[in-house]
Amino acid sequence: MSPLSNLRMSEPLFSNSFLARTLRRRSFFRVVGATVATSTLVLAGCNDDNDPTPTSSTPSLTLGSGDNGLLNYAYLLEQLEAAFYQKVVDAFPSDFTAEDKAAFVDLRDHEVIHREFFRYALGTNAYDSAGTSLTFDFSSFTLTTRAGVYAAARTLEDTGVAAYNGAAKLITDVTSLRLLAKIASVEARHAAFVRDQAQPGSFAATDVITASGDAAGLDTAKTPLEVVELIAKFVPATIVASSLPTI
Amino acid sequence: MNLFNIISELEKVDPEIMDRLTHRRSALTALGDMTKKMALAAAPIAIGSAFNKAMGQNNSNATVNDILNYALLLERLEYSFYNQALNAATLSTTLTGDARTAITTIRAHELAHVNLLTAALGSNVSPATAPTFDFGANAFTTYAGFLTLAQAFEDTGVRAYKGQATSIPRTLNPTVGGNQVNLLTVALQIHSVEARHAAHIRYMRRGATAGAQTSIMPWIVNKDANGVPDAVYGAGVPTTTFPAEDNVAQGGITALTTMLGATYSAADVSAAFDEGLDSTTVTNIARSVVKF
Repeated sequence: MSPLSNLRMSEPLFSNSFLARTLRRRSFFRVVGATVATSTLVLAGCNDDNDPTPTSSTPSLTLGSGDNGLLNYAYLLEQLEAAFYQKVVDAFPSDFTAEDKAAFVDLRDHEVIHREFFRYALGTNAYDSAGTSLTFDFSSFTLTTRAGVYAAARTLEDTGVAAYNGAAKLITDVTSLRLLAKIASVEARHAAFVRDQAQPGSFAATDVITASGDAAGLDTAKTPLEVVELIAKFVPATIVASSLPTI
Repeated sequence: MNLFNIISELEKVDPEIMDRLTHRRSALTALGDMTKKMALAAAPIAIGSAFNKAMGQNNSNATVNDILNYALLLERLEYSFYNQALNAATLSTTLTGDARTAITTIRAHELAHVNLLTAALGSNVSPATAPTFDFGANAFTTYAGFLTLAQAFEDTGVRAYKGQATSIPRTLNPTVGGNQVNLLTVALQIHSVEARHAAHIRYMRRGATAGAQTSIMPWIVNKDANGVPDAVYGAGVPTTTFPAEDNVAQGGITALTTMLGATYSAADVSAAFDEGLDSTTVTNIARSVVKF
């Protein structure tokens, strides 16, 4: 277990106390480049059904403002996706084929690289630079069957595509915009692939690509606030996105 | 709605707009000098006029329209390509079933993109009607050959939109068909659709009659061309902005393979990031396989 598990649950998630910082830094170095799942979150217990007051101890995850806020938002999405694929790779469904497994190792690797890239690029501006990685909650998915895993992947990848499409116009720095676009199309490739595996030929079906009207032929775009609402159930913290740019 | 007027309209309410645009324009101008020379040297036919117009003008108002007309050219090309394929007698027995359904879906998207860009441009559409696209005698003779070209166009299309993303002012919100839209968002919404197409077509090529690309993935690994012209995955101009698809340096980090606290393969790192392309390189690629 991580030394973090010794911290009391009432401890704020991103405490700046010297003790917390020291412990988390040690944890940070241990998990860098490895998996999110190895780091135990202080508040894992908050999701415990027996906990009578889950809200009072739910920590806040503040994404910040401006381009840094948006990069933290992208970083959180990549953490989420990487954690998902890692969880699948750690325990493949019994009906996964060798091809499925190989693809998921690729997908895991891409998302881990995205996550680590953002972590590195953000440096001390990363929302979790104090060292604690989140343990995401995927209990709403069925990860024991091939169909369940691909359906889950479809949800996450489509959300990722919509998130990048919606965030682009909010970014002011041209280099950051270029980087988001480089990642956005990879997420779209992932989305098309997992959709086709979930249901053949659904790579660009009408639930994601508008079929008619003025927006015909366009992929989904969602604002950060819309995306935060969609991913809230996976994140064991209250995501505070209110300072992110909206225009 | 006339896009030519957008920026001057914006200037009235946002005096900083010109400063921001000037910034981008100076970068574009530097790029323009090179692209102009390359274009004129490399492609003797109509490219010169298209490009001098697209990249050489100093009028930033026109630049956005030129980007849209450039996107329109690519969408018209893609639509024509799929339309010719679906109507080709030579593909009638091989492009069938799920494959025909998928290509029909893709054609519908390309047509929707043509319509959207046409609506956004209004009277500034140039040329007014789509050119005739000649994909050559062999483009549709075999299913595998058709898919190879399809991959080339889709992967190039993704790179083309990505290459323009930073040239579209993020505050441009024209009214298209009665709705106010953000032009940069729309460009990215098309961009990700092209990426979905590319992913699907790449995977279609795995089948025995489709090219038997047993190891091809929906994403681009290194700069593996899988039978597509190498230039589709090569570097653009300038290479620092538009590196080849095997690039492993991002955001000032010279090697994501080794500098992120763990070791990642070049295959994975390159696949995790798609690269953009400048309009000259894109047009040269298009002209290497289709006459228009």
